[in-house]
Amino acid sequence: MRFETHQLAQHYPLLFEGLRITLTICALSLAFGIVIGLVACFGKLRERGIAYRIAVIYIDFFRTIPEVVLIFWVYSCLPLMLSLRISAEASGVIALTLFASAYLAEIFRAGILAVPRGQIEAALALGVPSLHIWIRVILQPAIRRMMPALVSFLTELIKATSLLSAIGVAEMAYQASVLGSKTFAYVEFLSAIGVLYFIIIFPLSIYARRAERRLVSRTAN
Amino acid sequence: MTEGRGKRGQTVVRCVEVTKRFGSFEALRKVSVEVRAGEVVCIIGPSGGGKSTFLRTLNGLESIEEGEIHVLDVRLPAGKREIERLRREVGMVFQSFNLFLHMSVRANLTLAPTTALGLSKAEANERAKRLLTRVGIEEQIDKYPGQLSGGQQQRVAIARALAMEPKIMLFDEPTSSLDPEMVNEVLDVIRGLAESGMTMLVVTHEMGFAREVADRVLFITDGQILVDAPPAEFFGRPTDERQAAFLSKIL
Repeated sequence: MRFETHQLAQHYPLLFEGLRITLTICALSLAFGIVIGLVACFGKLRERGIAYRIAVIYIDFFRTIPEVVLIFWVYSCLPLMLSLRISAEASGVIALTLFASAYLAEIFRAGILAVPRGQIEAALALGVPSLHIWIRVILQPAIRRMMPALVSFLTELIKATSLLSAIGVAEMAYQASVLGSKTFAYVEFLSAIGVLYFIIIFPLSIYARRAERRLVSRTAN
Repeated sequence: MTEGRGKRGQTVVRCVEVTKRFGSFEALRKVSVEVRAGEVVCIIGPSGGGKSTFLRTLNGLESIEEGEIHVLDVRLPAGKREIERLRREVGMVFQSFNLFLHMSVRANLTLAPTTALGLSKAEANERAKRLLTRVGIEEQIDKYPGQLSGGQQQRVAIARALAMEPKIMLFDEPTSSLDPEMVNEVLDVIRGLAESGMTMLVVTHEMGFAREVADRVLFITDGQILVDAPPAEFFGRPTDERQAAFLSKIL
């Protein structure tokens, strides 16, 4: 077979349009996921009470369900239950937000719990106001510590957006399969997006791996 | 207020029948004691006897179930604001240093003065330099705690507490996690502080230090202060059976 580059040359704007949608959905789900993830994280950090129980159930539930099921469920069942119309794009953002918030909550929690209790006590004993204890003593090192996990979750989220092609969201994977079936140049388009995903995700994984190694060597000292 | 042992001053710590429980375990049982300004009080006793818990009730790190504690002008138990205000005037040094590991020595010393006292960066910085000189490690100001020896870290921790210009200092086994060769450099700093007239309560296992520096020695075990005596008397003529047993084991 011949690799028909002219098909790519002709249709690449659609692929990039798909890429734009992929990144937009990622950004939105990440942003909403961070907000809800923080709420769930602080709920779970309480360790007792109603907020704690809700947070635990929420986190366990959405970490257990396969992303595809979640996507189909939000797209097909949620509109029926709420009797309103939800676009495929909105369904995608909702489903991935549920997915992301549950994972992010655990990443945040692990980062916060890793701050040694003694440092918080020292700050308390110095009379540092609690807002500053949160920012300088807890969150600052916690964020640094959770960066590798956060970035490596981001790569998972980017990959998960390709599942939205199943409900017809015009993201990158969807565009490639549509263009493939229209032109029969499947090899060209699917290979092209494989390369694009790789170009986006690989540097992130490298960053996560390096950051992780730096963290390990620092805590070893 | 004219009696007292050598040093005279107003009462700055007064505990009245203080009881602290962890679940059903009584860590402190009706503890009553007073400390005057300028006094150095060493607290000794077996592990698990309540020494650290006692110290930690004085700045509200441990809440109390019964009784009351007057420290300076604050009466515990108290609300969050009152406790925060109290902690600005009571410094504490921990066994495990508890420095902020992600901050430079400079930032460790300036965090509390800038956020709790409202000092400018420049003022806090000046204070940090002055205190590091006092504890003999001014050249380490831009290092991180992980780059320092245990003795140096504990001296930074002392300087960090002093940066709030406290009226009382609490030391919770300040040399217990140090290598033997570093114990003296830290004790020297604490000794210097005692000589400058700072009111101090020091939980310690360093009997030589207690004998030399303390105005009074408290023996705490089973959540009670069994003995409260000047060092010569405390080490020379034990009055309590358990005190005598403890001393015979460690001296």
